[in-house]
Amino acid sequence: MNNILLDVQDLTMHYSTRGGSVAAVEHVSFSLKKGESLGLVGESGCGKTSIATTLLRLLPDNAKILSGRILLDGADIVTLNNDEMRKVRWERISMVFQAAMNSLNPIHRVGDQIIEALEVHDSVKTNREAKDRVASFFRLVGLDPKLMERYPHEYSGGMRQRAVIAMALACHPDLIIADEPTTALDVIVQDNLLREMSALQKQLGMSMIYISHDIAVIAEVSDRIGVMYAGSLVELASAYEVFHHPRHPYTCGLMSAFPSIVGPKRPLVTLPGEPPNLVKPPSGCRFHPRCLYATDICSQKIPEFRDLGGGHYAACFHPVEVKNAVS
Amino acid sequence: MQETLVRPLSTDGASLLQIPLWRVRLKLFLRSIKTNLCLFSENPIGLVGVVLIIFFFLFMSAHPILMKFVWDPTIYDPVMGFESAIAEHPSAPSPGHLLGTDPMGRDVLSQLMWSTRAAFVLGLIAASVTAIIATTVGAVTAYYGGLVDTIFMRLADIIIMTPGITILIVLATLVDLQMIHLAVVLGVLAGFGGTTVIIKSQALTIKVRTYIEAARIAGGSDWHIIFRHIIPNLLPLAFLYMMFGVTTAIFTESVLSFFGLLNIRMSWGLMIYQTSVSGYLMDMSKWWLIYPASLSITMLCAAFYLVGRAMDEIINPRLRKR
Amino acid sequence: MRRYLIQRIGQNLFTFFLFLTLVYLLLDAQPGDFGNIYLNDSRLTAEQRQVIREQLGLNRPVMERYLSWLGSLFQGDLGLSFSNSMRPVISIIAERAPRTIILFLSVTILANLLGFAMGKMLAWRRGGAVEYAATIAGVGLFTVFVPWFALMMIWLFAYKFNLFPLGKFIDPVLWREATVEANTIFLRMMLTGLLTAAAWISWLFATRRFNPGWRKAARWVGTLIILTLPITYWATNGLGRYAADILHHIALPVLTITIVNFAGTMLLTRSSMLETLREDYIMAARAKGLPEAMIRDKHAARNAMLPTVTSFILALAFVMNGGVITETIFSWPGMGLTLLKAAQTQDIPLVIGSLVFTGALALTAHLGADLLYAFLDPRIRVS
Repeated sequence: MNNILLDVQDLTMHYSTRGGSVAAVEHVSFSLKKGESLGLVGESGCGKTSIATTLLRLLPDNAKILSGRILLDGADIVTLNNDEMRKVRWERISMVFQAAMNSLNPIHRVGDQIIEALEVHDSVKTNREAKDRVASFFRLVGLDPKLMERYPHEYSGGMRQRAVIAMALACHPDLIIADEPTTALDVIVQDNLLREMSALQKQLGMSMIYISHDIAVIAEVSDRIGVMYAGSLVELASAYEVFHHPRHPYTCGLMSAFPSIVGPKRPLVTLPGEPPNLVKPPSGCRFHPRCLYATDICSQKIPEFRDLGGGHYAACFHPVEVKNAVS
Repeated sequence: MQETLVRPLSTDGASLLQIPLWRVRLKLFLRSIKTNLCLFSENPIGLVGVVLIIFFFLFMSAHPILMKFVWDPTIYDPVMGFESAIAEHPSAPSPGHLLGTDPMGRDVLSQLMWSTRAAFVLGLIAASVTAIIATTVGAVTAYYGGLVDTIFMRLADIIIMTPGITILIVLATLVDLQMIHLAVVLGVLAGFGGTTVIIKSQALTIKVRTYIEAARIAGGSDWHIIFRHIIPNLLPLAFLYMMFGVTTAIFTESVLSFFGLLNIRMSWGLMIYQTSVSGYLMDMSKWWLIYPASLSITMLCAAFYLVGRAMDEIINPRLRKR
Repeated sequence: MRRYLIQRIGQNLFTFFLFLTLVYLLLDAQPGDFGNIYLNDSRLTAEQRQVIREQLGLNRPVMERYLSWLGSLFQGDLGLSFSNSMRPVISIIAERAPRTIILFLSVTILANLLGFAMGKMLAWRRGGAVEYAATIAGVGLFTVFVPWFALMMIWLFAYKFNLFPLGKFIDPVLWREATVEANTIFLRMMLTGLLTAAAWISWLFATRRFNPGWRKAARWVGTLIILTLPITYWATNGLGRYAADILHHIALPVLTITIVNFAGTMLLTRSSMLETLREDYIMAARAKGLPEAMIRDKHAARNAMLPTVTSFILALAFVMNGGVITETIFSWPGMGLTLLKAAQTQDIPLVIGSLVFTGALALTAHLGADLLYAFLDPRIRVS
């Protein structure tokens, strides 16, 4: 029981825009153990980054958490005020942003930006100590400590990504959220970086949440995978299970395979249609307009996100029964 | 069940072709105007500006009507009139003269109204000249680059480097400047100066867009590309800077008239000049000689500037508030 | 960076030359020439006029005259001023230029500091009545008819409340027993000001590498010490009351124009901040748990500062613009007033001299802006 670091319960978050209210995160629930890594995968706009920003409570003014709890070591961080939340940020949860180059301020030295986090969270007392700490992190991520004195524009893309990872590690957080950490990099660097991140995570015993639209990336590094669609979590299971025994029709579509099921034969198809409008989402199950197994109930009620057995969760009225393995 | 899928305008390809191109363009244009108006009206700042402009416009339009039907030209003419019924000029506001009379016996309200027209005409001519020059030069230099670019950018540098009012003061004392000359000179100076640089940067971002390449591959001539593609995309920005152009024009004219350097019939600045020449500048008891004119200058300049700012928030989407 | 600077210096110098040429040609193209004023004496016969013209070199071709003018210019000779009893133009400029510069330097510094601080805070809180009210008030001040506003200020503070003098540079009565010239005192004040500013900036730099606990305290102490130095100097050298008198006279113009100008900087800072706030590194800074004030000042404002600083330096180029208006109303004997009077009396050499001064100011301003920008933006500094 005490093994659970993060417990998200029924989290709902909406943005209010000129066109209406966007249901960005709808009744999402999942939990994360200490030292575990979770991968969140889904199409653009499905809400994965929204979950990340909600966890850190980095929401813009027009966004509101409508319901739900985020329990970090048992304490609900949704109810914290700004000052308390600032203590949580970076010390307990930190983030590696999408397109890391933009998350470094171009007019300050890279080392200084990490030192500033250390100073604000009272982790160091002297300049010397701060510099030493940063140097050790740099070495950890494979950067030459002398680069501390340089500016972001003097780094290459891969170096910047590493620097940002070092920055995320600075205050020894319990959880790191990596949002599309490798999207902006070329394939070779991507591969190296992912492996290093995974090794670091195991070495330091942190939990991680990887967010990506690229399933291959997620599969490499996650213990468990969560599939998101239109703001809701539609499937959550171990990486093996999601790949070899997907239960939700959307996940099946993602795995590009449609196993035979009980019932009339259907030809292999791709997913028709496009992701739904989050301002006026479809009634009932959000996926039903594109789902070939949809029946009347699917357009009337939202399926419950429940355990189908062995810790494999899915939200579907007609979860797929899989007979043959998919590689 | 299918309600979330996007429905095309028409499912039949053939019927799509039957709508004439100009009709489609017009529809898109009107729609974009409607969206922009919606965005604009959300911003109280822009609305305040527009209200002020409309107020002054009505104010200005009232003058010829009054002159024709209500007022006697010999008394109320802004330049030549004279109120003989009152002994001492300048006189305080009275029923016949709502803002009193100036030292030469002329009705101040009439002067104020007439000057509004001068201000509008001056502002709009100067701003239009600026817009035309800046857009054309900006588009051409962005498109061709090279020597043309260097020449015009050096020219712009010189103009930016030079403080306008200073040059105009010198010019005004050497040459007899009238309203129309001033408007054109202001327009030209601004047109070749800072505004061009800004419009040129915008044109550069347009130039590298794919539809320009597509147009060129399709065989469009240089002029066609410049006039049909680049310039229409520059128009919102040009229109925006026209607003600021009007502000500058009115302000500059007022300052120059205040120094007595212009040869014009009547303007707000001139009203204040005459007050100063008659020695009433510091005389607060004769407030109607200075306040109405000064406030008019300030308000009309501010109005155009506010409108410009509100437009800026629309045209520059990064400033928009979500 | 060196290449960037050399390129910019070259460009600016070239532009300055073009400017000079244009000025000369413009004034030369006027019907008649400067000789006319001088030669308008009706007692001269036609032959005498011709002789004088030849002596003054007025009948040489334009190119020759231009080149010889340029030559004299570089030797510091700008000709003689007709309307000031043939006093060398350069000495008139030397006397009056510092006054204009000090007036506008003070105004610009104050206006920019105030405008920057307010714009920074305004951008931080979006929406709400405060934003709209501040914007409208800002625009109102920005576009106010300056002569009128200045008159109001004079009437209010100088006349009604009697806090400040009505205008001019010094109080003749007080200075009657002075042993030193007004200008000397003025120049010395400028010098003290510059040294103090330089010392203070160096101190801020030096304390950057201090340990976090000591930094703030060290800065405050250092600032206090540095401020007391000039005050002690002026209080003890016997010329204190003259300096005070000049300050007394400069106060109202500075106050008035600062109020008018700060709105422009405030609006500019606000726009610049709004754009900066959209950047990802601001969100990253928040994620790091930094306090709001630190994000606003150290990250957003520092980046947003670049256009503001540039406009600050460039304001120097437009000193004459504001100068003409302000100096006329406050009767402050600076370059603006000089230019206006010279233009009104058709004293061409003085007009040209003033314009050259203006161009030189603009040149310095642009060079300074380029230098400062290169220094502030590491992307240019280290490349």
